[in-house]
Amino acid sequence: MRFLLVILMLALAACGTGEAPPKPLTAEQSAAFSPKDARLAKLYANSCKGCHTVSGAQAPLTGDRTVWDPRWAQGEAGLLSAAIQGKKGMPAGGQCFECSPDDLKALIAFMAGREL
Amino acid sequence: MITRRKVLLGSAGLMALGAGSCAGRRAWMSREPALPAAIDPQGRALWSNWSGLEHAYPMKRAAPADEAELAAMLPAAAVPIRPVGAGHSFTALVPTEGTLLSLDRLEGLVSQDTTTATATVRAGTKLSALGPALAAIGQEMLSLPDINKQTLAGALATGTHGTGKGITAIHGTVTALRLVLPDGTIAECSRQTRPELFHAARVGLGAFGVLSQVTLQNQPLSRVKKVVRLVDTDWVLGEWPMLAAKHRNAEFLVLPFTGKSALITHDVTTEPVSPRLPDTDSQTLMDLKRLRDLFEFTPGLRRRAAQMAMKDLPTDVAIDEGWKLLSNERPDRFKEMEYHLPIAAQAEVLREVIARIERDALDVFFPIEARIIAPDDAWLSPFYQRESGSIAVHAWYKEPHDWMFKLIEPLFREAGGRPHWGKLHSLGAGELKALYPMFAEAQAVRRSVDPAGRMVNPFLKKVFG
Repeated sequence: MRFLLVILMLALAACGTGEAPPKPLTAEQSAAFSPKDARLAKLYANSCKGCHTVSGAQAPLTGDRTVWDPRWAQGEAGLLSAAIQGKKGMPAGGQCFECSPDDLKALIAFMAGREL
Repeated sequence: MITRRKVLLGSAGLMALGAGSCAGRRAWMSREPALPAAIDPQGRALWSNWSGLEHAYPMKRAAPADEAELAAMLPAAAVPIRPVGAGHSFTALVPTEGTLLSLDRLEGLVSQDTTTATATVRAGTKLSALGPALAAIGQEMLSLPDINKQTLAGALATGTHGTGKGITAIHGTVTALRLVLPDGTIAECSRQTRPELFHAARVGLGAFGVLSQVTLQNQPLSRVKKVVRLVDTDWVLGEWPMLAAKHRNAEFLVLPFTGKSALITHDVTTEPVSPRLPDTDSQTLMDLKRLRDLFEFTPGLRRRAAQMAMKDLPTDVAIDEGWKLLSNERPDRFKEMEYHLPIAAQAEVLREVIARIERDALDVFFPIEARIIAPDDAWLSPFYQRESGSIAVHAWYKEPHDWMFKLIEPLFREAGGRPHWGKLHSLGAGELKALYPMFAEAQAVRRSVDPAGRMVNPFLKKVFG
């Protein structure tokens, strides 16, 4: 009985989101994305894209939710601090020196596959 | 760098049990450095350079859309005004409490001349974007630095270079500049027009104004063959003059504590394209770190384990347009000191650098890089009127780098070395004046274009006096 309940709950959960599970992207697939907003697209092209669409750069690929979802789950504040201060291989500010904190928030959301 | 991950890992694993405590000690010593606050008490966001060594909280961030906007904002901008390219400099060239001026929007090709293979480019163009842009018009730069994330303006301001006998640093290919002076005036300069400004500002540390456009003397696009092979360090040191002369671009990376070096050459070829494989330098670097973690206090074992691991390594070959091969992804942040020595002194000094590191800096695991650069005539160029052999030492961003100043810099200075402007050094105006024959003239030009010192931060005050 318990087994059937679990199956039912999983099925309902799947119906609830209506989303297929994320799949890893290639660098080429990742590079095809660009923010819809023209200003943000320029900021992205001049900074984030240089690493976040290149496999060898070890940065999570733009739009690849298999790697971004665990990061996204940490919450916006943590991601923003990491973006401003830098973390591991990522330099501070993602090397976008004209980016405001709000710009960085929008860029994080875009790269995390929330606003492709 | 050559990747031999599995072999290195296997070798290291055999010894791991006994050396576990060393690795644990290392994990503690190599923890993430403390970070400055993301936002300061005045609500200003942090700026930090790529390595994380320098930081500031600028009052104002500006990113002019074009030269006219740049010229309009400079006269009233909060001081010090510091232009920033990609923030790759390790020295404190950029930190400012005034205006941080990003050149990111001043990018792209302005014009080109196919017959002379020249191109005029906006100064904020990243080198990574410049390669494909030039390739699209059938041109290329003969040499590129190891990393290509920098802006053209930043690379020129710091005398950034690649390698190759007879090949100058990037600023050696500049034929004309457009510079927006601190008072908003736009100055055009070349060998014929305002030559004193051209000679002083070509390698200008971002202290003569803000570069808006640069004309480059390029070459017709070619295909090159990149070969990376592991060699004995003693051999490459002995053969270096021959190797440098034989290949269009040659450099080598000494892998300390191994007796081995990675020799990297690029030569023009007509062979079919064979694209570079995914970059594995980072894995190799971390393998060298693991060897260090395990055998830090037993250099003999470290050397034997490394040599065993690297035995029978194949040569890596890639064939493609040069802009795709000359630069590398460097996802592992580091700190770096590089000096440019008279070419005749390079090999001997490098031998001593290796000896000192292997005797007194057992924690070093990053390779030591050796390159060759042709002379030029920019007044503040480290290659001013002298063929140079460069030597660069590195430390992981998480680890101490004081050994560079204690062990290595005195050696570089004794040999008459001139520091890379964007890399760690301790020199001030007094020492620099003795190294640069035209330093006083450059200082005078700087004062004439920026009499109030609006582009000078504390670091530049030390440099220019």
